[in-house]
Amino acid sequence: MANVSLNAVRKNYDETLHKDTLRNINLDIKEGEFIVFVGPSGCGKSTLLRMIAGLEDITSGELKIGDSYMNDVPPVERNVGMVFQSYALYPHMDLRENMSFGLKLKKMDAATIKKRVDNASDILGLDPLLERKPKELSGGQRQRVAIGRCIVQQPNVFLFDEPLSNLDAALRVKMRIEIAKLHKELQSTIIYVTHDQVEAMTLADKIVVLSPLDEGADSNLEQFGSPLDLYHNPDNKFVAGFIGSPKMNFVDATLVEINAKDCVVELITGERVTAAVDANRAKVGDAVQLGIRPEHLVESEHEHAQSKVTGIVQVTEHLGSESFVYMDVKGCDFTFKARPEFPAEAGDQLTVGIPTNACYLFDENELAFQRTAKYNRGA
Amino acid sequence: MGLSASKQPPAKLSIWLKVLLIALVVVLNGYAIIAMYANGEFAFALLTLVIVASGVYVFTSKKTYAHRYIFPGIAGMVVFIIFPLVYTIGISFTNYSATNLLTFNQVLQQFESKTYTDDSGAFKFGLYQRGEDFEIIVEQGELLYSTGPIELDSQSAVSIAHELSVLNAKPSEKPLAIKAVIQNKDALDKLILVTPNEQELVRKGLREFAGIKPLFTPLLQDGQSSYSLPNGETITSEFAKLNVKDGRILIPNMETGYFQYLDDQGELTGRGLKPGFTVGVGWEHFKRVLTDEGIKQPFVQIFVWTVIFATCAVVFTLAIGMLLACLVQWEELKGRAIYRVLLILPYAVPAFISILVFKGLFNQNFGEINMILGNLFGISPAWFTDPVLAKSMILIVNTWLGYPYMMILCMGMLKSIPDDLYEASAMDGAGPITNFFNITVPLLMKPLAPLLIASFAFNFNNFVLIDLLTGGLPDIIGASTPAGETDLLVSYTYRIAFQGDGGNNYGLASAIATLIFLVVGALALLNLRIMKKNAN
Amino acid sequence: MPMVQPKSIKYRKLATHLGMIVFLALIIFPLLMVIAISFRTGNFAVGDIIPSNPTLDHWRLAIGMDVVAADGSVTPPPFPVLLWLWNSIKVAGIAAILIVVLSTTCAYAFARMKFRGKATLLNGMLIFQMFPSVLALVAIYALFNKIGDYVPWLGLNTHGGLILAYLGGIALHVWTIKGYFETIDPALEESAAIDGASPWQAFRLILLPLSVPILAVVFILAFIGVVTEVPMASVLISDINNMTLAVGSQLYFNPQNILWGDFAAAAVLSGFPITVVFLMAQRYLVSGLTAGGVKG
Repeated sequence: MANVSLNAVRKNYDETLHKDTLRNINLDIKEGEFIVFVGPSGCGKSTLLRMIAGLEDITSGELKIGDSYMNDVPPVERNVGMVFQSYALYPHMDLRENMSFGLKLKKMDAATIKKRVDNASDILGLDPLLERKPKELSGGQRQRVAIGRCIVQQPNVFLFDEPLSNLDAALRVKMRIEIAKLHKELQSTIIYVTHDQVEAMTLADKIVVLSPLDEGADSNLEQFGSPLDLYHNPDNKFVAGFIGSPKMNFVDATLVEINAKDCVVELITGERVTAAVDANRAKVGDAVQLGIRPEHLVESEHEHAQSKVTGIVQVTEHLGSESFVYMDVKGCDFTFKARPEFPAEAGDQLTVGIPTNACYLFDENELAFQRTAKYNRGA
Repeated sequence: MGLSASKQPPAKLSIWLKVLLIALVVVLNGYAIIAMYANGEFAFALLTLVIVASGVYVFTSKKTYAHRYIFPGIAGMVVFIIFPLVYTIGISFTNYSATNLLTFNQVLQQFESKTYTDDSGAFKFGLYQRGEDFEIIVEQGELLYSTGPIELDSQSAVSIAHELSVLNAKPSEKPLAIKAVIQNKDALDKLILVTPNEQELVRKGLREFAGIKPLFTPLLQDGQSSYSLPNGETITSEFAKLNVKDGRILIPNMETGYFQYLDDQGELTGRGLKPGFTVGVGWEHFKRVLTDEGIKQPFVQIFVWTVIFATCAVVFTLAIGMLLACLVQWEELKGRAIYRVLLILPYAVPAFISILVFKGLFNQNFGEINMILGNLFGISPAWFTDPVLAKSMILIVNTWLGYPYMMILCMGMLKSIPDDLYEASAMDGAGPITNFFNITVPLLMKPLAPLLIASFAFNFNNFVLIDLLTGGLPDIIGASTPAGETDLLVSYTYRIAFQGDGGNNYGLASAIATLIFLVVGALALLNLRIMKKNAN
Repeated sequence: MPMVQPKSIKYRKLATHLGMIVFLALIIFPLLMVIAISFRTGNFAVGDIIPSNPTLDHWRLAIGMDVVAADGSVTPPPFPVLLWLWNSIKVAGIAAILIVVLSTTCAYAFARMKFRGKATLLNGMLIFQMFPSVLALVAIYALFNKIGDYVPWLGLNTHGGLILAYLGGIALHVWTIKGYFETIDPALEESAAIDGASPWQAFRLILLPLSVPILAVVFILAFIGVVTEVPMASVLISDINNMTLAVGSQLYFNPQNILWGDFAAAAVLSGFPITVVFLMAQRYLVSGLTAGGVKG
């Protein structure tokens, strides 16, 4: 088990094109932490993982595992274990051979290999399957074998590259819980890549949000923090929009009043909203964007409906446990998570309430203003 | 893949072994390259240089790690496909042929090593039996020399030199009879006897050995830069030779590739001495192809037939193959698997066997096909002597050989046509024939296109079929090179080069080959373009 | 799911069967004929499809036995057919193994590695493969003449030289194997690399065992290709005892003395094994045969 630290890491596949995939990535991962890299496709999260594994070289910057400089160390000497998206089980070997392949290459004695493989298959419940070939297994079982193959190596760091994306929804939830349990049991450092923010929120001690690199941007590391920190205090609009489901609603607005603990903005609809954010670094008249999560919106008569916004209902979805109302607010898409069987027909004009404490506010550069309160929806 | 990142530093010993190995390769090949260059074989020297240099670079540079995997394969292609191609183009600008096979240096050496026996210094000789071996004793006046006992080897490929030593008295017994000399004539002819004063003797007649002298000496002696002829012209060629025996002057003719004698007027005379050497002739062969009626007429005729043949070959095999593929893919048809195997049979039999089988079956006198035709219709077509019948026979045989390949290709591609297209057309009321022409054919043509071009190129150059079946016969009348009615360009080229009666005119054959390369190259590029287009 | 079919389909099926049978009869006739001829007496006699008085004489000659006629005269075998067959198998076997090795290493690099000039090389290989070697035979002859000066066992009239000549033609096989490698998940080798395998070990322990089927296909295709190759072998080999079957078989058709029956026996003897192997493997061979048409 070890710390992993990245210092100003950059990746460029083709220097002649001057197009970086990753730029200026700085991370300090503590021993035993469960870290999730999350971001939309093309953000370089898998590349970053593969750089830590040694499968991609590092264009510039510095990678340390434990206290050793790792940039030019071949994968096997980094003592990492990796679970691939496709599991990458060797099809011509049975499970025992699959798990002992790496140990044999390291010339370990047969007794140790057997002990480690048995131990791993014990943890993962693979005992009855050890003589089978990968193609005779279900998706979930293959997944476990892939993890088992890492466990026997007793690596310093476990690397997971979108391990659940090939499973169906039900199995995905089950395996997610198993991986969480495994982490508790092994207490090892895990770096986990996913594009699914629910996986990220549920598994991670800390989340790394990456975005596709813009030309000229300083870095594509958007934020590094605990799941709830990211949910409540996103550094910028990208993180705010990426974390949380359904996506946060954004409406263009103008600052009209700035106080110590809150401010007032005028939406493009002309409605005024009070937001509990510290907007003192801006000035009145600045263009801003108001963010509000669908689950934080309330019906207009609700006690927390300190401000209101009105739009035209496009579609309503009734899921039984809740309803989603999709509205058009002067050109902005707006989602409202409402109580079950909330009555709204397409074409209706609907006014919803915005609690002051639930507001997020972003400046012209999409950077967040500090929130001064935490919204508690209450019972 | 970051394979370069996972390379491990090799141990010291293996580094040294590698350095040693590379040094060895460089030294050995360097020697070979210099030897070839010195021999005037620039093409081979260059080829070896390119291959060895790139090999050493690839296997020593870190940047070219991946290239190490492809180097052997690519080198094979360069040496056995690309180099012969370029070399062939090179030959097409020379007079390389059976009569002008050697390089200038080789021919020069041959003339320089020519000798004649000098009558004045003849030695009488006697052959004596010495157990298994023989002793030869030669005498001239006071001089008496002996070889000592030597072995007589008539199998030796090269001349064998023996030092002679001075003998004080002739042996008492008589030498072997003339009969023994005649029996060992071949072995005796291989001998060169060297007298103590360095004179070389060879056998001359049944009783004499005589001194040999070079027949030709350089015309320009040391320090001389030119030689004036009686008519006032001067010769500056360092290769000009003087025939010691008759005093004639021999100079190389770089236009024709022969050494020729000069007459009194200083003009080149005669046809030149054999062997000739290879010289460049520029566009000569290409001009001949375009202007010499004896070549141009058969060339054009063969070219036209080649295009017709290749087109027909593709069309016939494709039509039959596609139709059969559709039928054996028809799910309603029982016994499809058996049909399929039987239909592929002609492809499974090695082509050289089936072509020869047809050669026998079509034989005019005892072939089974004429036997059946004779019994049924009372006819006996002359398959091998009538041009039209010979061409039809070739197309029949080629269709038999080629349709299974097209069928296999089409079968694979039919699977990729979604069933719902046929279901949709059934809703529109289409029958099987409408389906075939409106859905199957158009959808197959696009992926088939590059394969059809490759097939066209293959048939354009279908040498084996022609060579084994007709050998190009019947001959075209009036051609000045071997040329047949059924020859394709490739077999025509092959016959010019390798069939004895045409004089092995490699230069001309290469010129025609170069023209074919242009056609094939164009087809290959077209093929690549269509494949690229299909992929997008 | 079969569609509901119109009534006329019955007649259509019948017509198809009939057509198929007639066509097959025409197609298979030459092959049946040659088998019949191999049992027929004499080399000239015109006979029935089923020989009236079958004889094994041609077969005895084909496998190298003398034939003693009724009048006591002995006919020695005209040609060393079994030696030719052995030569063919030897040359084709060694050449096919080397072709598989060369094209596998090439294909590995093309499928898995990034390097300069990759696309150019791949396309170049396809283009040059289309040029028929027959046209360059003069050059190839000269080339092997030269090689023979330095390495005699690779020169003219040697099996070593012939095998070497066949190693130039690997482009299509490289494409076939490359296509197959690309269907194998590269994560397997990456996983092996993390497990501690060197690139060579990953290739040897993971990729190769998984590619056995396609390597077998390429081996068989290369083998058949070499066995049936005529022009190169006939120019490079001149000694009758060094000939391969494809070159030697032509000697039966000397215009002065066509040994039709002897040829038939030799042809069946040598053609049969290849035909059977091909038919058994044909399903797997198809992928290799169409490789020229795949784009990579």
